[in-house]
Amino acid sequence: FGKRRRGEMTSTSVNPSTLLPLELVDKCIGSRIWVIMKNDKEIVGTLSGFDDYVNMVLEDVVEFENTPDGKKVTKLDTILLNGNHITMLVPGGEGPEV
Amino acid sequence: MVNDKDDSQRKKKESIVDLSKFLDKKVRVKFQGGREATGVLKGYDQLLNLVLDGAIEHLRDAEDPTVIGDETRNLGLIVARGTAITVVAPADGMEQIPNPFANADEQ
Repeated sequence: FGKRRRGEMTSTSVNPSTLLPLELVDKCIGSRIWVIMKNDKEIVGTLSGFDDYVNMVLEDVVEFENTPDGKKVTKLDTILLNGNHITMLVPGGEGPEV
Repeated sequence: MVNDKDDSQRKKKESIVDLSKFLDKKVRVKFQGGREATGVLKGYDQLLNLVLDGAIEHLRDAEDPTVIGDETRNLGLIVARGTAITVVAPADGMEQIPNPFANADEQ
């Protein structure tokens, strides 16, 4: 019993020539990524890695809070972002317009 | 009874939706939390994660976050998380109509 490689599933009818979403995220490791949460929060950071649940380890992180319009809470070091509330990921993204 | 259980265990996990018909088509995706986005479907997986190209997000009214306004912002090439997706529909097959239940509210 070996752990299946991410993206390979039994009996999947996904045509192998389509682009797998998690492969796209994997290509982004080492670059900036813009993460949009379900609520009005957005995070931009350098992607160090992620797991099967798309929890993410990010560095040099900037956090944007959309509604109060006092955007930008800057954090540094490394954060672990809980993947539970992630809606969208933009590889190479710089974040919302300031 | 035992046969039923065997059948459901024997049957492999197949998706009940087939997104291949949407490939390279513009789709509108709605998320938990009220966000909506539109983009060309470039890829997907069994967990319903999507790759959308040229994606735009439809922004909500500042006063009433339940209302999707006309404003949009460009996102580009994005991955949409399957765990947050509620609806995937063809973008061309939709139009906004006046509330058909408006009269019922007044009664």
